[in-house]
Amino acid sequence: MATESPEQFDQVDWNDLSRSGRFDLSINSIGMLVTALPLALLGVYDWRFVGDRTATFEFVGLDRTLETVDFLFIFTLLLAFWYLVLPLYQNPRRTRYYWKEFKRNRPAVVSLGWLGIVFVGGIVGPLVMNAPQQELLIAYQPPVFTSVVDTTPATCVGEVINGRCHGTWQHPLGTTNAGRDVFTMIVYGMTISMQIAFITTTIVATVGITFGTLSAYAGGWVDEIMMRFTDIILSFPTFLMFLLILYIYGAGLGMFIVVFSLFAWGGTARYVRSKSLSISEEEFIKSSRISGASTYQVIRGHVVPNVASSIITQLTLLIPGFLLYEAQLAFLGIGDSTVPSWGQLIAAGRSDLSFAPWIVLAPGIVLFLTILAFNFLGDALLDALNPEAEAENA
Amino acid sequence: MGFGRYVTARVLWAGVVSLVITTITFLLLSAAPNPDVQQATTQAALQGGDPAAAAERARELRGLDEPLYVRYFDFIQGVYTLDWGWSSSRSQPVLEAVVGALYYTAQYSIPWTILTVILGPLVGVYSAANMYSWRDHAATGFAFFGYAIPNFFFGIILLLIFGVWLEVIPVVYNTDVAVFSVENVVQLAIPVFVLVTGSIGALMRVSRNESAEFQNSDFMKTAKAKGVSPLRAYAYHVMRPTLVPVSTTLVGQLLALFLGSSLLVEVVFGIPGLGRLTFEALLSQDTNLVLGTTLFFTFVAVVGNLIEDLVFTVLDPRISYDDR
Repeated sequence: MATESPEQFDQVDWNDLSRSGRFDLSINSIGMLVTALPLALLGVYDWRFVGDRTATFEFVGLDRTLETVDFLFIFTLLLAFWYLVLPLYQNPRRTRYYWKEFKRNRPAVVSLGWLGIVFVGGIVGPLVMNAPQQELLIAYQPPVFTSVVDTTPATCVGEVINGRCHGTWQHPLGTTNAGRDVFTMIVYGMTISMQIAFITTTIVATVGITFGTLSAYAGGWVDEIMMRFTDIILSFPTFLMFLLILYIYGAGLGMFIVVFSLFAWGGTARYVRSKSLSISEEEFIKSSRISGASTYQVIRGHVVPNVASSIITQLTLLIPGFLLYEAQLAFLGIGDSTVPSWGQLIAAGRSDLSFAPWIVLAPGIVLFLTILAFNFLGDALLDALNPEAEAENA
Repeated sequence: MGFGRYVTARVLWAGVVSLVITTITFLLLSAAPNPDVQQATTQAALQGGDPAAAAERARELRGLDEPLYVRYFDFIQGVYTLDWGWSSSRSQPVLEAVVGALYYTAQYSIPWTILTVILGPLVGVYSAANMYSWRDHAATGFAFFGYAIPNFFFGIILLLIFGVWLEVIPVVYNTDVAVFSVENVVQLAIPVFVLVTGSIGALMRVSRNESAEFQNSDFMKTAKAKGVSPLRAYAYHVMRPTLVPVSTTLVGQLLALFLGSSLLVEVVFGIPGLGRLTFEALLSQDTNLVLGTTLFFTFVAVVGNLIEDLVFTVLDPRISYDDR
């Protein structure tokens, strides 16, 4: 419903706008269904018919495999496209307004640019770059524009001047102790970070919004029980519980994402509950009720959309925590060692820190910048989406 | 509901929460294969014995053949009577190991907490008082820096600069020095600094934003018109209302750091505190010790949340007990 020219109230064809039933789908939902269905079928196919060691795309001759986490990631990407990017395109006027508000915060624009790089790098990178290979001969190559004593690398790829090995563009950020290219590993780490960011956010948002609105609308003792349950979730020491689960069962990246997101929605649910309570007191809710909207229609059409836009900030600020936890676990050597995350790279370079600091510095700085960018972005989104808070935060 | 009843209800609730978490821990543990039993089985198989019989014996020895509810009540009783079992990797009671490690954790946690609590709101209010000046921007930049840089990464870098290159601080933590000595201050300075930068950022932001609201309030204008000195005006009229919302952020922040990052900082700096105890127990598959340290951290979290709620209601009389 792109409204380029202002519509006149008496010319609106209400039959077009009113939805006849609750199963009357919007273009977004149709698109979501059409794209998610093949993915689900592929998932089932991968799960039931493809052997553990066979690549998913064996049947078309591609040697690429998809893990459970990858399927979830693609699913959340589809969700983000149909329900976040497309609505922004459908409402150009509102998008322009948000952008105008957002643009005023310069660090946030830079942050958005950086996160865009990480996002695109994470999605495109693994498709166009080969996974970093172990090549012991070229271990400890310094980054480009720097040099180390030529005894540090086994053989120097670049030129040796005055007994110092100089870095080359072949390995712009140097190589690790196993001769893996640091830049490639960082690009591969972007995928992991984006997977963590997207999947956890989706789970937290889904559970948090559902739980919060249900609790607000149920009221009475149901509300009481649900909120006390949220209290328990909130005071749960997730990091330690994850250590315990890791100790007992062992855990990969998927388990990490599930455990951390299932214990992170407490704050979101609380916020959604109080927000939906205050929204349900608004005049427009009353008027839609008088017009005969059912509770489901009110929640689906008015409460959830209003709440969703205001929890975006909170979700943005949750992501850095997850990235940090993943890096911490990897650093401790108890993370998922099969995934090439930034934390794994930091952990790998730690023992060589005194003579090959780039192995730790490069992924550490990238991690730092990403966390910083999410924080700036959250701050700016708060101002853009919620003009009332501006007075405090400007 | 009166204050007394509110406190009682809240304390009882904290008890319930701790019980729930303990129960979940128990269920997690009982659903998993016990490493001790597995060890016994492997040993029997290696020595040519009967693995099944050995497993049976090991289970009997540890009381695992009892029905689930009996073990559950035993477990709960053990947890709440502080009978946390024997740590096989350290050859000492779990409680003793935890208390011993706490001694080292406290040495950096106490200065860290005090510094954060004092500096955070002070810098935040100061930055609000000089809003949009270069001081404010510097403070904001510092807050974001400290908030965003991973503690363990920052720790490694500082250790590299000051420990390895400049050789100002010892690279390995020395447990022999006295608590109140210059050496101890020197070796704990960097860990404390790392933790303070990590925890102070959020606090500074919250107190800056909250106090900005009170700067232009009517009571501030009145105070200024009456000729109250700026110091007194800020200390009495801005700081106090600011501290209420700040206090809620504070406990949450400190707890999150205490539970997560202190482990990393201890591993990086080699401090033999609680975090490292947990980590080493995990590595050496010492179930009792893992359980003991996990439960200890859990209780700290529960008690911390309890204190936060109570302090909040005491500080802000406007909060009605029924809403919470």
